[in-house]
Amino acid sequence: MDVIMLTALSRWMENTDLEEITWRSGKNKISLKTNNEPVESIIPSSPLQPVLAPAIGIFRSSQPGQTNALTEGMKLSQGSELGWIETGKTREALKAPCKGNLKIIAIKDGQPAEYGQPLFFIEPE
Amino acid sequence: MFRKALIANRGEIAVRIIRTLKEMNIASVIAYSQADFASMPVKMADQAICIGPASAIKSYLNIDAIITAAKITDADAIHPGYGFLSENADFAQACHENGIKFIGPSAKTLRMLGNKSEARKMAMKAGIPITPGTSGCVSESNYEQEALKIGFPVMIKASAGGGGKGIRIARNEQELRSEFHIAASEALSAFGDNSLYFEKYIERPRHIEVQFVRDLKGNVLVFPERDCSIQRRHQKLIEESPSPAVSETLREQLSEEAAKLANAANYIGAGTVEFLLDNEGKHYFMEVNARLQVEHPVTEAITGIDLVREQVLASAGETLAMPGITKIKPNGHAIEFRINAECPEKDFRPEAGTIKKLVLPGGLGVRTDTYLYAGYSLPVFYDSLLAKIIINAPSRRLAISRAERALRELETDGIKTTSAFCLRILNDEDYRLGKTDTAFIESLLKKTKHTK
Repeated sequence: MDVIMLTALSRWMENTDLEEITWRSGKNKISLKTNNEPVESIIPSSPLQPVLAPAIGIFRSSQPGQTNALTEGMKLSQGSELGWIETGKTREALKAPCKGNLKIIAIKDGQPAEYGQPLFFIEPE
Repeated sequence: MFRKALIANRGEIAVRIIRTLKEMNIASVIAYSQADFASMPVKMADQAICIGPASAIKSYLNIDAIITAAKITDADAIHPGYGFLSENADFAQACHENGIKFIGPSAKTLRMLGNKSEARKMAMKAGIPITPGTSGCVSESNYEQEALKIGFPVMIKASAGGGGKGIRIARNEQELRSEFHIAASEALSAFGDNSLYFEKYIERPRHIEVQFVRDLKGNVLVFPERDCSIQRRHQKLIEESPSPAVSETLREQLSEEAAKLANAANYIGAGTVEFLLDNEGKHYFMEVNARLQVEHPVTEAITGIDLVREQVLASAGETLAMPGITKIKPNGHAIEFRINAECPEKDFRPEAGTIKKLVLPGGLGVRTDTYLYAGYSLPVFYDSLLAKIIINAPSRRLAISRAERALRELETDGIKTTSAFCLRILNDEDYRLGKTDTAFIESLLKKTKHTK
């Protein structure tokens, strides 16, 4: 078996999804195996943009005395108010990072959130 | 007893505390920073809650975030560990105001002991010898006079300092003028308080400390002294108990004084009184560490008492079994080695990286407290302590042989540590003879330079 043959064979194999082949020609026999160990796990990408809790605390959807008007599917503009995270006496506002549709609301009023927890998912427009 | 305790700390001490909580049937919650997501305490605790980003100011030092975490997880107690908020009176106060038990002394006690010049005054009142020094803080207008009164060399200390930080030495008037101003600005940036006080600098002292536990009825357990003279830039590296330099009589006296101080401060829980021992055998009060200390396992090794358990019991209002002052006798000898992610060849520069392979020492009389596991990547944001290897044996000589054996077993591929340096100390003639002082490491490093 010559180098040209071997090269042709491995090229051909690269263009298939075969992982292992055995090729016989008369007395000659060769086995090839691809080295297909996954380099890293595949991170699924999503077009949705999460809004993460900027601090640990209690989620408040609205100011006291007001009602919350957030519903899934509603349109948001950049900077739309989504609620607050209350840590002790401080309140940190949650704002839409981009214009889009509010796809998922992952928290309810009064629920605790830890730092970095995704609270909303927005489909950017 | 507490139902659930939150640990406001990280690393090996968080692991250490979780272990005792498990044994006491108290549920554990670890409050962690984003950088510690994959850490061992997060895996070990019954519950874990992320309190903030990597920066300690926004996580482990963030009082609001930690109190909120305790409320969210319904914890009825907080263990602060050491460092971070462990001696912060405002934190203890915030816990109290939110109906959460702070496992440590009261905010009032912390405030008094945290102010080092107040603590000196208290010691003086209790009749405990203190190093000659200013009775309070010095000012821009009187500091030169005050230094001359004490006599050089003088130690400049930050009133809000601790853990060896914020200390400078002046050997003459010229040094005093420059060091004073550096110390003031350093203290301001490190502790938010630029008040300073002076103490006579004792040349080449030993660092001796006495652990105690006091309950709310005023009963005190006093433990045999620890010798923490092996330190570099005021950071301890090797600690042992009992001290080769302390006689029965001196031990008796130090124990009495530690108990007196604990009572004077109305201290509840575990604390440590630090003393300096000069080369004439005279001792001086230095400060009270109002927390669990890194080196507490040395005491556990020679007494068999779980100090975290005692701390938790005292905070829960349980009383000690023995009324009055009980002095515990040492059983054998114990030595602790701090394995830090530091490179001794490069001036102890902190190391970072991933632990590829990990072999921890074991066998009779060997305890390893660590939060490492193979594959763990060290975050660069926090201190460099990786593990503590605690050796105990019937005698100091046997403990040294055992320590050599144990240190050689340790493998931390991927990260340079202080373990080889600890071995070098063990092989030093003076160390073996117990002839050490706080300048020991400095001298050892000089010695090697000359022989090179």
